[in-house]
Amino acid sequence: MIVKTLLAALVAGLIAGVFMTGAQELRVIPLILHAEEFEGQEPAADPATPQADHQHSSSFEGGKILDGVLAALSPITPAYAHEGEHEEGGIMFGMSRFSGTLLANLVAGAGFALLLAGISLVANHPVTFANGVYWGACGWLAVHLLPAIGLPPELPGFPAAELQDRQLWWIATILFSGAGLYLLALRPELLAKIAGLVLIALPHIYGAPQPLDISSSVPAVLGAEFAVAALATTLAFWLVLGTVLGFINDRFLKA
Amino acid sequence: MATSAVSSVSLSDRITAGIVALIIGGFLVFGAGLANSATIHDTAHDVRHSFGFPCH
Repeated sequence: MIVKTLLAALVAGLIAGVFMTGAQELRVIPLILHAEEFEGQEPAADPATPQADHQHSSSFEGGKILDGVLAALSPITPAYAHEGEHEEGGIMFGMSRFSGTLLANLVAGAGFALLLAGISLVANHPVTFANGVYWGACGWLAVHLLPAIGLPPELPGFPAAELQDRQLWWIATILFSGAGLYLLALRPELLAKIAGLVLIALPHIYGAPQPLDISSSVPAVLGAEFAVAALATTLAFWLVLGTVLGFINDRFLKA
Repeated sequence: MATSAVSSVSLSDRITAGIVALIIGGFLVFGAGLANSATIHDTAHDVRHSFGFPCH
């Protein structure tokens, strides 16, 4: 039973991860690559410097030097920042950028699928083919939309508060949102539903960590497009994940 | 009602399976999304941004 459930979740997660890799190539990845051309440049304070020349290698070199200066002033250690990409880090096992993305999507897909299956088991509400889409939608609400109210999906080069503060707020918001959605969706009592709404609202009343300086060299239009694209892509990911998990559960676990 | 689908499974089995799934799932999501290692960060970089994980 344990092995079968875990396997079902694993398979559903891997399928959703492959799907996600394809979906990301449509819009999200091109926007990330576009934003990286601006990353590390000085925020567009001087209108005399046209941003359009960002592709010239000369201005890119300048950006690299500025990167170093910014990194020295930044509270974020170099390991988090983008310079790590070329110095200390590098993609695992010498894979291409695409393979790294595929691997990470598979791991994330399997992880989210196992979390969904685990919650469904502990709460004793099975994920089925019929209700899988709702499980997926709730997963998206808890992991993406609700945290995005405080910390919207950000492009490389966007200003942001201290990484650990954001990660902590993000995890806490997911836990609160998940618990709130459980009370709201799966509990019949009126009091539970009210408590659920309060739980969902709490992290936002507390407030997400925000950067002190919000200037950025990445154009705002790219950021807006990216936030919507990222949320839409993850919604598709979660709907596929919930439905596939429900299908596999119906098909192979009911015996 | 909805519980009938798993009623053949004992309570402790169900909870054990659920908790095992939560632990492994949490570990995987942490690794892909939050782990503070330059190599893991760079491999998963585009995924972290796409999923809206807080990143660098």
